[in-house]
Amino acid sequence: MKKFKNVTSLLVATTLIMTMATGCAGKNNASSTEQTKNSQENVQETQKENSGSYTIGIGQFAQHGSLDNCREGFIEGLKEAGIEEGKNLTLIYDNANADTGTAAQITDNYVSKKVDLICAIATPMAQSAFGAARDEDIPVVYTAITDPVAAELAQEDKTPKGNVTGTSDKLPVEQQLQMIRELLPSAKKIGIMYTTSEVNSAVSVEEYKEKASEYGFEIIDSAIATAADIPLAADDLISKVDCINNLTDNTVVSALPIILEKANENNIPVFGSEIEQVKIGCLATVGLDYYELGKQTGAMAAKILKGDAKASEMPYEVIEEGSFYANAQVAEALKIEIPQDLVDKAVEIFKTIEEN
Amino acid sequence: MLNILNSILVEGLIYAIMVLGVYITYKILDFPDLSVDGTFPLGAAITAILIINDVNPYLTLLVSFLIGAFAGMITGIIHVKLKVRDLLAGIIMMTALYTVNLRIAGKANVAFFSKDTIFTKNFLTSFFAEGSEKVIRLVLIIIIILLLKLMLDAYLRTRSGYLLRAVGDNKTLVTTLGKDMGFVKIVGLSLANGLAALAGSVYAQKQGFFDITMGTGMVVIGLASVIIGINVFQSFHFVKATTAVIIGSILYKGCVALAIGIGLGANDLKLVTAVLFLVILVFTQEKRRKVNKNA
Repeated sequence: MKKFKNVTSLLVATTLIMTMATGCAGKNNASSTEQTKNSQENVQETQKENSGSYTIGIGQFAQHGSLDNCREGFIEGLKEAGIEEGKNLTLIYDNANADTGTAAQITDNYVSKKVDLICAIATPMAQSAFGAARDEDIPVVYTAITDPVAAELAQEDKTPKGNVTGTSDKLPVEQQLQMIRELLPSAKKIGIMYTTSEVNSAVSVEEYKEKASEYGFEIIDSAIATAADIPLAADDLISKVDCINNLTDNTVVSALPIILEKANENNIPVFGSEIEQVKIGCLATVGLDYYELGKQTGAMAAKILKGDAKASEMPYEVIEEGSFYANAQVAEALKIEIPQDLVDKAVEIFKTIEEN
Repeated sequence: MLNILNSILVEGLIYAIMVLGVYITYKILDFPDLSVDGTFPLGAAITAILIINDVNPYLTLLVSFLIGAFAGMITGIIHVKLKVRDLLAGIIMMTALYTVNLRIAGKANVAFFSKDTIFTKNFLTSFFAEGSEKVIRLVLIIIIILLLKLMLDAYLRTRSGYLLRAVGDNKTLVTTLGKDMGFVKIVGLSLANGLAALAGSVYAQKQGFFDITMGTGMVVIGLASVIIGINVFQSFHFVKATTAVIIGSILYKGCVALAIGIGLGANDLKLVTAVLFLVILVFTQEKRRKVNKNA
């Protein structure tokens, strides 16, 4: 009998919890229906594969603001060249969630489906795509790779090593250092946090170290292995430096709010490396607009699809001139005045810190 | 379709090398060994560096196996001699290997697309027509896995192999025989991690690059494959366990490919894996209970 009572109370509790859950779900209903709709659309797109004249597989290595911008820019770049989703383009999109094994399966899947072109976003994805597609001669267009030469996708003179080309997101390091010097005339030590597993970051840190002394800076680097290391590493770094410079490191960027909060408590300015980071509270950057980078990549892909150029003959492209972005609210909080010449150069100065 | 099948077989059979290792630790020794997450990329890192320095690709297989076996031996020593619990010993080794792998490779991602690997230059090319790289790749992997399976089967029939099986099944027997159980465990762990590193080596050569994140989730893939294989074939007594786990590995990869193929998206993959895993585990528990009742 006692046992029976237990079961009944368990049942009641479960029902209660279920009701609560449904109650909560009600509020999010709108967004979840939207999601379902989106995923249904995705499935449909995959199914009508044969009706479009071009099929492109977009493999993205991880979920992250800059990479998402890259993808959207890529689709826009294609559109500007007359290749538009729904009209003459079928898009298949997959995200590997930062797992190399999944990346390999995604690109294998594209090759099996015999897509006309693979767009690979970030280094491991590009390498998987190149490895999988080279026997089939499917062109691969990559973007958001800091060093295509080190990734063995291009030669020293920027020409491809196979049927593969794209754009690099190499940071304008010197322009960034110069900008930091202008904003913080007396700063000496710049802290940089990066993840040991991200090759792009290691390359950038090396370049910063090489060039910092020209601008009178010293680089203090802090290497982390996982996102869990960030809070401790941030405390340590903040105690040692005059300002922090943030790279495009995927792991660190995803935990940027933690670093910003700790830095703000100590009045340490944090510089970003691209527009999204400045939006959410970095002081300023001379960085890349990943949307533009994606657009440039899309234009390259369009040329290849139309047969105007061959991926195997196109050198990879970089955006030479960084654009200056600043955040006025952050500057005010830190009591830093942005010099007029920088204000004039700015592509955009954000008035407020965007909550995310 | 044929292409998808080919890629499932290739992926599944390469992972099967590692799965054979996990079979030894998990199923035979009853030791949940997490160091596999580190030894798989260890083999890949060693291979990347050796191949860049123009070492014969076949030799890299052997070197990877030996160094992987050494890493496994250390896991064993940590567990047996320092008396650290099995799960913790694996975690310690896995964590340590992250740094070791980075040090060996020098950086987090090393590519060697332009170099010769076991897949680009081998004895099979003369038997096949031009342009059948994919078939050659599959045939070569089948040869490798068959050799390894036969060798492992033969080993398990030796004296040392029997002892290995006894440690998992009947610890008292080993002690009664006057054998050192710790030593047998160390041998088993070495063998398992050697196989994991060998799988990493083959996988890196297939991919053309090493990446530090390669090992993430290896243990899960390994365990899932072993459990799928063993359970699907548990009523077919003529199928050897080693064959069953190899097929388990292919089935696992097939499920993942299916999930991607029907448009589930990589975001949902982990959940699909977890559900699949759970279903099979529950399914086996049923069977075991029945056996107990009947006994």
